[in-house]
Amino acid sequence: MAEAIASTGLPPRGHRSAWLLAVLAAALLFATVVATRPPLQASPELASTLESILLWHSLVPRAVTALLSGAALGLAGMLLQRVLRNPIADASTLGIASGAQLALTVATAYAPALMAFSGEGVAFAGAIAAVVLVLGLSWRHRLDPMTVILSGMVVSLICAAASAVVILARGEYVLSLFIWGAGSLNQQSWDAALALAPRLALSAILAALLLRPLALLGLDDDMARSLGLALHGARLAVLGLAVWLAASVTAQVGVIGFVGLAAPALAREFGARTPRRMLLAAPALGALLLSITDSAVQLLGSGFNDLAPTGAATALLGGPLLIWLMRRVPPALPPQVADPPFRGRARSLGSLAPLAVIIAAIAVLGLVLGMGPDGWELATGQLFQELLPFRGPRLAAAGCAGALLGAAGCLMQRLTANPLAGPEVLGVSAGGGVGLMLALTFLPASAFAMLAGIAGGSLVVLLVMLLFAARPGVGPQRLLLAGIAMGALCMALVSTALAQGDLRAYMLLVWLSGSTNRAGELEAWTGLIACVVLIAPVLFTVRWLDLLPLGEAASRSLGLPVEGSRLCLAAVAALMTAVASLLVGPLSLIGLIAPHLARLAGFARARGQLLASVLIGGGVMIVADWLARLVAFPYQMPVGLFAALIGGPYLIWQLNRGGGRNG
Amino acid sequence: MIHSTALPTRRGALALLAAAGLSVPARAGSLRVATVDWSVLETLLALGVPPVAAPELRQFREIAVEPEVPVGVTDLGLRGTINFELLLMTRPQLIFSSSFYVGSEPRLRRIAPVETFTIYASGLLPFEPAVAMTRSIGARLGIAERAERYIAETQAELAALRDRLKPYATRPVIPVNLGDARHFRVFGDDSMFGEVLKRLGLANAWTEHTSYSAMAPIGLEALVRVPEAFIVLIPPVPPGAMQALAASAFWNALPNLREGRLLQIGSINPYGGLPAARRFARLLAAALIEAGAARG
Repeated sequence: MAEAIASTGLPPRGHRSAWLLAVLAAALLFATVVATRPPLQASPELASTLESILLWHSLVPRAVTALLSGAALGLAGMLLQRVLRNPIADASTLGIASGAQLALTVATAYAPALMAFSGEGVAFAGAIAAVVLVLGLSWRHRLDPMTVILSGMVVSLICAAASAVVILARGEYVLSLFIWGAGSLNQQSWDAALALAPRLALSAILAALLLRPLALLGLDDDMARSLGLALHGARLAVLGLAVWLAASVTAQVGVIGFVGLAAPALAREFGARTPRRMLLAAPALGALLLSITDSAVQLLGSGFNDLAPTGAATALLGGPLLIWLMRRVPPALPPQVADPPFRGRARSLGSLAPLAVIIAAIAVLGLVLGMGPDGWELATGQLFQELLPFRGPRLAAAGCAGALLGAAGCLMQRLTANPLAGPEVLGVSAGGGVGLMLALTFLPASAFAMLAGIAGGSLVVLLVMLLFAARPGVGPQRLLLAGIAMGALCMALVSTALAQGDLRAYMLLVWLSGSTNRAGELEAWTGLIACVVLIAPVLFTVRWLDLLPLGEAASRSLGLPVEGSRLCLAAVAALMTAVASLLVGPLSLIGLIAPHLARLAGFARARGQLLASVLIGGGVMIVADWLARLVAFPYQMPVGLFAALIGGPYLIWQLNRGGGRNG
Repeated sequence: MIHSTALPTRRGALALLAAAGLSVPARAGSLRVATVDWSVLETLLALGVPPVAAPELRQFREIAVEPEVPVGVTDLGLRGTINFELLLMTRPQLIFSSSFYVGSEPRLRRIAPVETFTIYASGLLPFEPAVAMTRSIGARLGIAERAERYIAETQAELAALRDRLKPYATRPVIPVNLGDARHFRVFGDDSMFGEVLKRLGLANAWTEHTSYSAMAPIGLEALVRVPEAFIVLIPPVPPGAMQALAASAFWNALPNLREGRLLQIGSINPYGGLPAARRFARLLAAALIEAGAARG
């Protein structure tokens, strides 16, 4: 199949050997998969029957499905990149795949009839919703590439959090299954291949018909319009086609990340320049890429067990690839989210007092108001005394985690001079997950080993991000994108471990879902001590924090030891993130929104913003914990994910608002 | 709040229910017991001493099915995140836990004394620990005789089923749980299902270790390795999976399928105690015998 595509005379001279090599590698790997499959214990006669069933109903359809899915994703990616004039557009970076997956998860859980009726329809609806949201968010920026991808990745994060909530709320036992289902290419029939083939063929024909508009879409709008192109119509048609293709693949085999990003990029490296060449080269390379990955996953596993779901394996490639591709995105874009405007004049530190009072009131309410077997209940007297050992520590743990995240977010935003930086967005939390995974694998299990693992992972990622940020020409958006790519890479590693379904996976899952339910004195004290030990010293560095956002030159001329202060603050921020993610999990987005809210409230100088972020982060997390405890009583939601569902929409609203101000 | 029912009427109600052969959330030997583990819950129910509170009852009724949970038992929420506040308010005097919930134990101890059992652990075969657990529960609640009787009944039932299954013991059995139409989970000789197979004189077709639980999902194509085996499908079966399989050429080409060796049985808790083991044995035997009868 791939051979057929590749031999259509497409390769330009000079790249022929590269093409040949790729095709050979894919063919050789597949041959190895077939040749090295484990022997069957049966009579020779039965064995040969079974061998042929295995070959023709499983291995070959799987290989063909890999080629077709890869081709479809490659084509979809190429179309998306063309229509959005964005070299880093792809079903995964635009949130299309996660949107489809979320729709499939929700439908499986709550409307199985809908799934039986049309899984593909469900996926398409989810994908469309996600893409409309993403494009809507960046519309006022005229679909500026960085803004589009940033919105897309944030929508992806939120969709993933929502999927996890749905799954956890229905009992965790399906999770490893869910992860495999989300991106595994195992086949026992030709169904997926037969479903994808006509869709791919139809899309390829439609795309070929749209070739002229596609070529013109590469020009700028005025030029294209003057050449008589119905611009919006053509764009919409191409976009719809790409989303449909990507949703079909998701419905058949789950989320296969970043193939659509890699294939067109490789095609360009292989010398394809015109839309006509790209139209052939991108799907062909997508097919080869996915085929090679899928064979590798099978070969690296043992017996009939794959090493990891193929989708997770491709996601491993996605992060580095995205960072590498970013250099193609034109620089000098307007910053996408400016600092929120100040309402009136900046507030003094004294005005923190009302904030503190409000948060204390929330905390007290969280302590006394709850639910019992007979419904709502205000705990007083004896009952309060009894409940306090349970409500107290979890409230303290949640509040401290929120405070630490608020401070960490504030530090990161000031270190990178970027209002959208935060532990999740910079990939620091996910890095902690990789550290935890390593600690669980190589160290004897203990709370200390877990904390050390998370802290180590967080610190490594934050340092890598800071090194990246220090390079010349890295604008704030590039940094964020690199952080999100880093986060995707780390989460792919964590998913691979999660998919094994062993005790380590269970521990990772508990961490990932971030429940304060088990928080006791140890957790509460850890949080409180971390707050004191980590936040208090930062208050003595407020001068650094005020100066660093001004840029390196300015800071240096004002006598600031730039490298030293950065490193020091980064280490503190990583530790804060680590302790917080130990208490409430990695994905809460509190570190992002607390500093924002602090600014909105008028705390602009470093000291005020830091303290307000700490208070607001703690307050929001306490509210999230209280809600997580009560919305599905007696069933409890994980607070971290619940906070992300509060923080996510806020972030989207912020992105949109920034658009309004600049667009 | 919870136990404010006037005593005389309660006693009357108890007598009435006992006469009707029903159990009520009661206190064995006047002890209010709660549990956070399903295998303990099963065992308590089977011994006729329902706990005052237990986790995830909605799922339990669907997955474990029996023994029936009386209406008065308080639902403590997800097994992974027990609602400690609610547990506290049900005023247990004793909490039974298991090795799955070690992390929660410090919290549980604040509510009532905790006794922990280990049935499922790496390198441990679960059947004997389940017997030991039943015995300990009996001793702790002052119903040692009842517990011994239940253990004896279990062993007698397994032995009787083993005799009846003699004609079918020539073929191995592979208990599987479908993840979707393309993946399944398998239960090895160190799972409770594997243990029961052994006691029924049946071979488990899956000979690899599965570290006391179901393995991470395996591609359905691995079934070609066990062409002789009876495939035993244990629910929950995901919606649409059976329809998808019915249309699958691979599935229909498997010798197991063509020769009628696919058995669909009722849902069973894979991490259960003796009641789950008995339920599996009973359902499996019935399905095997029916399949045998169908083929004459």
